[in-house]
Amino acid sequence: MSSWPKPPGGARHSACHFCDTLHRFSTLEEGMAARCVRCGGLLYQNRPASLARASAFSLAALLLMVPVHAFPFLTMDAATMRRNLTLAGAATSLMEEGAPILGASIILFTIVTPLVLAGGMIYVCLPLMFGRVFPGSFTVAKWMYRSEPWNMVEVFLLGVLVSLLKLAKVADVHFGIGFWAFSGVMLCMAGAVAGIDREELWDRLEVAKP
Amino acid sequence: MSAPFPKAADRGLAGCHTCGRVSPVALGRCPRCGSRLHLRKPASIEGTIALMAAAAALYIPSHLLPIMTVMELGAVTHNTIIGGMLTFWRSGAYPIAIVIFTASILIPFLKIAALSWLCAAATGKVHPSPAALGRIYWFTELLGRWSMIDIFVVGIMVSVVQLGNYMTVTPGPGALAFAGVVVLTMFAAMRFEPRLLWDRLDDLPAATPPNPTNPEP
Repeated sequence: MSSWPKPPGGARHSACHFCDTLHRFSTLEEGMAARCVRCGGLLYQNRPASLARASAFSLAALLLMVPVHAFPFLTMDAATMRRNLTLAGAATSLMEEGAPILGASIILFTIVTPLVLAGGMIYVCLPLMFGRVFPGSFTVAKWMYRSEPWNMVEVFLLGVLVSLLKLAKVADVHFGIGFWAFSGVMLCMAGAVAGIDREELWDRLEVAKP
Repeated sequence: MSAPFPKAADRGLAGCHTCGRVSPVALGRCPRCGSRLHLRKPASIEGTIALMAAAAALYIPSHLLPIMTVMELGAVTHNTIIGGMLTFWRSGAYPIAIVIFTASILIPFLKIAALSWLCAAATGKVHPSPAALGRIYWFTELLGRWSMIDIFVVGIMVSVVQLGNYMTVTPGPGALAFAGVVVLTMFAAMRFEPRLLWDRLDDLPAATPPNPTNPEP
């Protein structure tokens, strides 16, 4: 199949998100992208095997979240004491030390958002591969797109590296399995988000809607 | 005037902000995903300016107040973002100093400056050049999240450096202010409506050619 199935009826148009220029919708070959004739902004794409890629990468990201929470990111040995860093640990320390909002933001941007994105993508894309739509898929898809800009996995990883350099002066610091697992989550999330196009996902949802 | 390129809004059509489907705006809600339909995001300029002003007001305390306090063998030092960057610079860790400078000082400042310019262009105060400004807008949306790095560093340091009497780290009020700057500028960038730039360009008198590759005869 060269393109995804289109919903029947209705005017097939696409409006550019940047300049509002109206385009007639045309069917794209796999790997092609449609760009706005006026401003050059991306209108929609046809990415190969998008549902399979999104589901596979999201599933891998979800599985990797288990070691992320089970193993420390960093282990520090200083003055006969050993301290471990985990995502939940960083959040709870901030809350205990009088910065509850910052602690909550760590939970939100590094734990909840990736979960919503990866979990949502599996919930929506996996059944769609078989032409099925689970109840609430439209709401889930909406929240997926809303949470996307708040996914800060890669930012946290860079933060770990900066902290490592700060800590290396005072103590012995080692990377833990959690750090590598979270790097894997970052790559899988990037693969999943890059796998699917908005127009295609919503068209498929509309076609498969019972 | 007859625009060289057909606009969805001129035909009463709106592209859904969530799913992209083009439908008559008179429907009120997108028939596909149920989101509200607008020709243009409502009160986009006012909302952007309000969020941006709040971010700009927090930008100064976020750099003056300490983001974390280090207690080492009874001696207390207050660390600011700029101080932390200078420490890295003096110790020769130039790449890290540049990363912190870019993420924490430059990007928030550039975002506020870019959004101010975009709002001025969208209200017709300065000449709109949508292609260049659109790129700036895209760039500010892309980079915004990276400013959170210093907040995460504070969280990590506070969590790991709890060594009793030897050394402890506690978060400072600057961190909350800085997190406010990042979140508010992200919301401000989302609130902005880039289509207003093209609307202003089409409003200009016909004497200035709207586009060099104008297909009209």
